[in-house]
Amino acid sequence: MGVVCVFPYIIPEGKSGLQVVDCLQKQVELLGAVKAGTFCVDCETYQSNFSNTTTPQRLVHILHNSEQPATCFAIVDTGNCLVADSQFDILMQRLKGFYQQRKGFKIESKGQRYEYGDFLIKIGSVLLASSFKGILLEVEYYPCAYLGDCWNLMKELIQSVMGNVLETPPAFLKQKFNSEYGPSDTIQQYLEHFNGFRKAASANQAR
Amino acid sequence: MEGSVSIHRHTAAPFHEYLLQGSVVDNSCDVLLNRLRGLCDNAENDYESFHDHELVFALRSSTAQNNHNQQVYFRVRHSLKAPNAPWHLRYVGQAEVGDKTRHTLVRTYVDVSTSDNVVTFLNEMGFRLDYEYVIKGYFFHKGRMKVTVSKIFRMLQPNNVENLEPLSLSYLVELTVVAPAGQELIQDDMKNFAEQLKPLVQLEKIDHRRITMM
Amino acid sequence: MRSKRRILSQFFIVSNFSMMKIEHEYSSITWPNVLDNFALLSGQLNSLSRLLKSEKIPPLKNYVLLPLALSPDKDLDLEKLTEGRLMIFNHEVVPVYLRTKPEPEVEEKFTELTCRVGISAHDNPQSYMVYSQGKAIKTENMLVEDATVTRKQLNTLNKITSNILDIINSARDEWESEANQKSAQPQTSSMADTNSLIQAITVGKGLKQPTPRRSENSHQNNNNVNSQQQSQKAPQSATISKAPSTIKTNIKAGSANHPYQRS
Repeated sequence: MGVVCVFPYIIPEGKSGLQVVDCLQKQVELLGAVKAGTFCVDCETYQSNFSNTTTPQRLVHILHNSEQPATCFAIVDTGNCLVADSQFDILMQRLKGFYQQRKGFKIESKGQRYEYGDFLIKIGSVLLASSFKGILLEVEYYPCAYLGDCWNLMKELIQSVMGNVLETPPAFLKQKFNSEYGPSDTIQQYLEHFNGFRKAASANQAR
Repeated sequence: MEGSVSIHRHTAAPFHEYLLQGSVVDNSCDVLLNRLRGLCDNAENDYESFHDHELVFALRSSTAQNNHNQQVYFRVRHSLKAPNAPWHLRYVGQAEVGDKTRHTLVRTYVDVSTSDNVVTFLNEMGFRLDYEYVIKGYFFHKGRMKVTVSKIFRMLQPNNVENLEPLSLSYLVELTVVAPAGQELIQDDMKNFAEQLKPLVQLEKIDHRRITMM
Repeated sequence: MRSKRRILSQFFIVSNFSMMKIEHEYSSITWPNVLDNFALLSGQLNSLSRLLKSEKIPPLKNYVLLPLALSPDKDLDLEKLTEGRLMIFNHEVVPVYLRTKPEPEVEEKFTELTCRVGISAHDNPQSYMVYSQGKAIKTENMLVEDATVTRKQLNTLNKITSNILDIINSARDEWESEANQKSAQPQTSSMADTNSLIQAITVGKGLKQPTPRRSENSHQNNNNVNSQQQSQKAPQSATISKAPSTIKTNIKAGSANHPYQRS
């Protein structure tokens, strides 16, 4: 696997999400990218419903990425990310008495997957409890394992398709600039954005 | 676009482990190993050995409103011989004895390989280490059946896998098959196999609830 | 009659089949399989003997057999008839196959033995009829009705009885020592060890709170653990739901420097 950058695409005023997704897909196809199936990244959140003196209330996020179909990622809200077999889901069911799934918190990003030379481009619609919340773009550059070595190349591609976004790399990627990139890093980027969407959604509801 | 993507979610029912247990005294262990070597697959090769560290973690709730005192045990296991091998996180259910028509114990069994940060992960989730031991031994397989002959070691210092003391003068012998639920016929194969190890080892279904009461 | 023939033929088919299997497939044949075949064989032997015993079956007949010609050459018909067991009908095999009496040396020895028995039991022919037909009949005629002879008889009988008793006793001793040897075979597994090992891996019995002094005597330490728990429980209002927390504090005391942050 290479290096991945995940970032949101701001929907301009007066346009629907579907229109923007169509528009982005056309742009990518114009560039010469080839459709290569679909993708999906999903996230469920479990909340602890027990309290013993030593453990504060905890959230555990369980994420799956269609790019790693046999793997399940579990992230505690401390940031610790466990990479496990997909059967980890069954283990979470065993903890029913301690961790319960938060209702209406299931969030996923899914859509079209494109190959373009050494790049992989994914245009995902974000759905929170099956309602559209926004667009997440993912760009992967295969041949490299260190972000520091290829960031400028990736930035050039991203800006040529989507205009002047991402002048500087996202904060999460900045700290990963010189360490080897792995699948759990992609998942952590998605989780960060998912949490952002959830926060915005609950803030909207409160208003 | 809705529904066009199928995510590979494993919502399948957990596997069942069929289990027979027994032990063999140290002096007779070589005889047993030779016999197993003859009975099992790959007789021409040397039998394979393992050397693992197992940590058993418990998640307990002790809240006042939660009077029924529930707990869940997860078992973490990793090889001391191959440090780069994935760690294992296992859930093992209560072993059911069943009636006379059943020849083996049956318990739910989930085995997940994980990254090596599983211990800190469990601690952050609220699990606490309950006990740990080192297990060293040999394993054989015959078709789907797996036989392990293993020595359990008590760790004299916490987290020191070098300073050990054997728990007893016997090796634990286990015959197991992990299969999807409903494959009851495998129990007959296991019973036949156990028959062939008598009287060297008595592999039986041993009621865990009864012996832990003692 | 037909049923007998059928059973006989089945019996031969099965026995031939299993012999063949044992001879040619001994590497792949499985133990349970062999046992199955033996069970089949013994079943058929049983039904065969039941048939022969039943009264409806006429006794198997006697035939007079006379070797008309001996030949040192290979006889193909014979070979076919005996399924390859016998190929040549010559002077060497005829005495072996057609013998109806024991060999002369054996017969000699037999008469010698009968003589001896006959002398010692000359006056009680009936009980020895079986052993010494010829002699007993002879001595029967020499019977003398005499009190001394009767006493002699009594003595011999006593001697014989005590001899037999000795033989029986020694045989019993032999059996018993054999049985003792069997039970003295080293025990290869111990139920107590099985249980302690299973308890250890399933609930951690004997594995919790490892402390160095535990190595001296694990049983004593188990007791210590229990009393420790009880003494800790006592001051608190000892409800059942609190038990786990006391165990936890125990763990902490035992291993303060453990890196897996126990609490």
